[in-house]
Amino acid sequence: MTTRRAMFAAVLATAIGSALPLGAAEAGDMRIAFGDLPGIESIQTLAAIERTKERGVNVELIILNDEDLAAQAIVGGQADVGIGAPYTLIQKVGVPIRIFGQISTLRFFPVVNSEFYKSWEDLDGQEIAVHARGSGTEAVMLLMAKNHGITYGDISYVPGSEVRRGALLQGTVKASIVDAANRRALEAEAPGKFIVLPVEDLSATDEAVFATVDYLESNTADVDILVEELIKTGREITENPAVAVEFRNTYGLLPDLGAEADVEVEEYYKETAEAGALAINGGGAEAAADDFEFFTLADQIEGDPASLKVEDFWDLRPLDRVLAKLGTN
Amino acid sequence: MATNVRTESEVTDLTLTATSEEARGLRDRPIILRLVSIALFAGIWEIAGHIPVSFAFPTFSDTIAAFFRLIADGSMPAAYLSTLQPLVLGVLLSTFLGVGIGIVCGLSRAGEWLLIPVFIVLQAAPVAAFIPLVTFVYGIGMTAKTIAVMILALPVIVLNTYKAVRNVNESLLVMCRSFLGTRWQTITRIILPDASPVIFAGLRLGVAAGFVGVVLAELLITPTGIGDLITFHRSRADYAEMYATIASIIALSTLTLVFLQWIEVRVFRPEKRGA
Repeated sequence: MTTRRAMFAAVLATAIGSALPLGAAEAGDMRIAFGDLPGIESIQTLAAIERTKERGVNVELIILNDEDLAAQAIVGGQADVGIGAPYTLIQKVGVPIRIFGQISTLRFFPVVNSEFYKSWEDLDGQEIAVHARGSGTEAVMLLMAKNHGITYGDISYVPGSEVRRGALLQGTVKASIVDAANRRALEAEAPGKFIVLPVEDLSATDEAVFATVDYLESNTADVDILVEELIKTGREITENPAVAVEFRNTYGLLPDLGAEADVEVEEYYKETAEAGALAINGGGAEAAADDFEFFTLADQIEGDPASLKVEDFWDLRPLDRVLAKLGTN
Repeated sequence: MATNVRTESEVTDLTLTATSEEARGLRDRPIILRLVSIALFAGIWEIAGHIPVSFAFPTFSDTIAAFFRLIADGSMPAAYLSTLQPLVLGVLLSTFLGVGIGIVCGLSRAGEWLLIPVFIVLQAAPVAAFIPLVTFVYGIGMTAKTIAVMILALPVIVLNTYKAVRNVNESLLVMCRSFLGTRWQTITRIILPDASPVIFAGLRLGVAAGFVGVVLAELLITPTGIGDLITFHRSRADYAEMYATIASIIALSTLTLVFLQWIEVRVFRPEKRGA
C-alpha cells in the first residue's frame, strides 16, 4: 500500500514534469489569446483582428475565460499575443513579456443608491461592493477614496458587473461600481434611483496587447500590422462611433447578439469615444506612466511609480514604427 | 571436530531471510514508509520547481514558506474560518439527511421509487454546471454555498446508505425472524449494524465530495475563504501562495478522511481495530 503510494507519487511528479510548455508558432501565424468572453466592448479589437487577417497574417483567436489564463498562455507558449494588462505578471514573475500597444483605458462607474448617498464624501465609513480583491474596480474605488480623503467601511467582493447591478436594484448593495453597459441598464431599469459618482484622473490601461520579447523580435512584420490595425480602428471609431456597427456587419462580429445589439454598440462606442477611452496612439510611455501610478496604488505592482522603468514593461519599438508611418493624432 | 561449512545456497538463503526480515521490519512501521513517500514527493516537487516546469510552478520550499507566511499574517486562518462554515454545515446536513433518506429508501419500495432516481441523476450530473442555477435561486450568500456542498455530498451518502440497507445479509434477516424479532429490532439490531461499513464508506466519500463542493462554490459563486485566497494570489502572480492554499485544502481534506476512518474503527466498529 505504502510502496504503491510512493510509486503513485513518483508517477504524478513525472506527469507534472512532462507538462512542459509547447513550442512557438511559425512566422506568419499569430495566435491571439483573448482573456475575456467577447462582448460589445470587444468590437474594436475583433475588427482590428479581422483586418489583420485581411492583410495576410494568419490569426487564430483563442477565447479564454480569464485574463490570467491569457497571460499564462503567452508565457507557456500556447499563444503568441495576449490581451489584457499584465503588469503584475511582468513584474512578479520576471517573464520576458512586454506590452506593445494599448487598446483602451479603464472605464468604470461608481454607482450609489440616491436614497442613501449623494457624493463621495457620503461613502466615508460605508460598505461598498467591488468585483474582486486586487481587481481594477477595487483600485478605482480606492483611488477615488484617496482623492477625496475618505475610507470605506467593509469592502465586499461580488464578481460580475451584472450581478452587482442586480444587487443594487434589489437594494442589498447600496454603493458599487459597474461597467458602461450595466450603468446604462441601471439608468434604464430604475431612472433616478441611482447616482453615478464622478471619476477624475483615471486613465489606466484596460486592455493592451502583449507578447514575449522573443516573439516581438522575430515577428516584427506581423506585430506591426496588428498594432497599425488596432490604432486605425481606434481612430476610426473615435471619429465616427457609428463605424463600430459597420465593422460588426462587415465582419459578422458577435453574431449571437442579433441585430438588436447594434443600437447598444453604437451607444457604447459613442460614449467611450467621447470619454477618450479608445487609445488612438497606442498608449506608449505616457500610458505606462499612468499605469504605474494606478497599478501601484492598486497594489498590483510594487515600487515607486516614478522609479519604475517603461522598458521593463513595454516594448515601444512596434508602436514607434507604426506611428512613424501613420503619424500621431 | 565439525567444521561449519556453509554452501553457497545456504548463504543466499540466509541473506534472503535477513532482507525479508528487514523488509518486514519496515513494513511494520508504516509511518517510516509514509514519511519516505512524502519526502520523495517533496523532493521531486522541489526539483521540478527548480527546472522550472513552468513559470507558475513554485518550488516545494517556496510553497512551504508561503504557507507559513499565510498563517502568520492571519489570512489563511481567516479564510478557513469562512470556508469551514458552509462546509461543516453542508456536510452535517448531508450526513443526517443522507443517511436518513438512504435508510428510508432502503426499507421502503415507495421511497426507493420516489427518491433514488433523483439521486442517481444528481450523482451522474456534472454538478459544476448546476452552481450558476443555485445562485439564481439562493443568491450569492452562505445558503448558496451550503447548497453547493450538499448537491455534491448528498447523493453519494444517500446511494451508499440505500445500497447498504438493501444488501443486508439475507441469512441474518432470516435468523432475526426465526427469533421472532420485531420490525424495529430487525432494523436496529441487524440491518443498521450490518450496513454500517458501507454507510461509513459513503460518509467518507460524501465528506470528500463536500470539500469539492465548497471549493467549487468559492471559485464560482463569490470568492470568499479558500476560493478567494486562490483567485487573489493567482491574480497577483503569487504562485507560491496559491499552491500553498491549494495544498492546504487537499491536506485538510485528507486528514479529515483519515480522522473519520479512525473514528469509525475506534468508536463504531471495535472489531476492526488493529486490522
